[in-house]
Amino acid sequence: MDGEKRLSRRNNIILCIISLFILCLLLFPLYWALITSLKMEREIFQNPPTFYPHILNLQSYAAQVETGDFNMFRSFANSFLISLGATVIAVLLAVPASYGIARYYFKGRKFMLLAFLVTQMLPVSVLLTPMFIMFKNMHVYNTWIAAMLADATIGIPFSILILKNYFASIPKDLEEAAYLDGCNRFTAFGRILIPIARPGVMVCAIFSFLYAWGDLAYGMTFILDQEKRPITAGIFNFMGQYGTKWSYLTAFAVVTIIPVALIFIFMQKYIVSGMTSGAVKG
Amino acid sequence: MGKMKKLFRYENIGILFVFPAFLYMLIFVGYPIIRNIILSFQDVNAGNLVKGTKNFILFDNYMELFSDNVFRSSLSNTLRYTVLCLVFQFIIGFALALFFNRKFTLAKPIRGILLVPWMIPVTVTALMFKLLFATDIGVINYLLRSLHLIDTNVEWLTTPGTAMFALICANVWIGIPFNMILISTGLTTIPGELYESASIDGANKVQTFFRITLPLLKPTVESVLVLGFIYTFKVYDLVYVMTSGGPVNSTHMLSTYSYKLSFEMFKYSKGSAVANVLLLILLVVGMSYIKITTEGEEK
Repeated sequence: MDGEKRLSRRNNIILCIISLFILCLLLFPLYWALITSLKMEREIFQNPPTFYPHILNLQSYAAQVETGDFNMFRSFANSFLISLGATVIAVLLAVPASYGIARYYFKGRKFMLLAFLVTQMLPVSVLLTPMFIMFKNMHVYNTWIAAMLADATIGIPFSILILKNYFASIPKDLEEAAYLDGCNRFTAFGRILIPIARPGVMVCAIFSFLYAWGDLAYGMTFILDQEKRPITAGIFNFMGQYGTKWSYLTAFAVVTIIPVALIFIFMQKYIVSGMTSGAVKG
Repeated sequence: MGKMKKLFRYENIGILFVFPAFLYMLIFVGYPIIRNIILSFQDVNAGNLVKGTKNFILFDNYMELFSDNVFRSSLSNTLRYTVLCLVFQFIIGFALALFFNRKFTLAKPIRGILLVPWMIPVTVTALMFKLLFATDIGVINYLLRSLHLIDTNVEWLTTPGTAMFALICANVWIGIPFNMILISTGLTTIPGELYESASIDGANKVQTFFRITLPLLKPTVESVLVLGFIYTFKVYDLVYVMTSGGPVNSTHMLSTYSYKLSFEMFKYSKGSAVANVLLLILLVVGMSYIKITTEGEEK
């Protein structure tokens, strides 16, 4: 509210300290999971609890590579493949679709736009059983493909609604110039428009990936064999089997967060853009 | 304008671009929705799910829901959970947005880092909160004990009333960044001159907030609340991983109850009926969202 006023040096320092306090408070669950994964099992059950690992223990990570009913790096790879596949499907389909919606006022445009908007609010519960039957009939049940196909249905509408705004904001003159230079509609789209809309395409790819990475319901319902399941289903399964083996469980959680953390560190500007433009302006 | 019209004469070529995505969604979303409605009017169990004849029993599944206590409590749980989550995440998110709107050195970097909880897979969030709320080793019980607020450890996740509280805490944690960033963006659209002239006119901070900030943020607030409602009302992963609807069905939501009916009790048709009730409520609320987003969109 007083944004425009310059803060005095003292106020600046006070506000910085308060903000650091807020940061610690809100990110405490993450910190707690991380240090729990680095503690000995005995230290976890110690009372009062220790707020940093007194004895550093990497066993929870190491043990998973070798032993266990399945290892977390395998389910990590499963998740990665599924998410990558879903992202590719979503981007390949959404990029042209959003261009079509942004640029051409064809018959049925409004209806399609509405349909994409509605699919964004669907609960998974409505789709699970019919998809289950469908994937069984398509003979893709219990394969990565089933999860990929299902996960892409989250990324596609989101991407179309975001990218539509990017394409709409590109001046039509640019396209006209391309036509004068001998491009047709399709080559102009590929050579001129997609490169300009690249930041938008990045946002779509990142969010499609994140949605697929975070999915539990599809991966758990459409894939039966534990060794093919994504990492979220792996965690859930592990919780059922070793409910109180907190050092292993939190190690699992930390590994699951790694790609999210990397995306956040290297692509933060796309995250803010995706969260805001996707939500406020459909 | 004339030239433009000539160039974009073949408006319908746009369909070629949209068609693949539309077809995909039709197959993998449109058809399942219809199929789910049909399922809810049939009598389908594990025996006749994929192959075999399915008898139509029309509204029997829905009628059964009316007398089903778990369904009724799931419905009221979902509503209570959604409203409470919305209230807390909105107030905290709003407060943080106002706080980080001030131009101190760390404002932008820290506001950025605070988005992380929103990006984390919900399964992981559920696991982290299960750890925080654990009975013997949970840090929340430890803090309450240190403050002498409790004598013996609370069994948060296995006691009906407190399990819901733990779920709401976890969901609010996810929702805060979402509310904060949308309201932050909304705040940047309010012209600074308005605040200047308000302070010249002698308005105090409270007056400025209620006379300028809040009215001008109305569109943002509306979409934050409607979207928040939709995202929260269809909650599935968080509840399924943290409590699976327990203890004694006290935290079942429409989505988790539907899943339980279909994939644990193999009453696929009844599960579909519950899912359709959930869908219907979301659509009613969603219509207002669509109204907001399409206003000013079509010229």
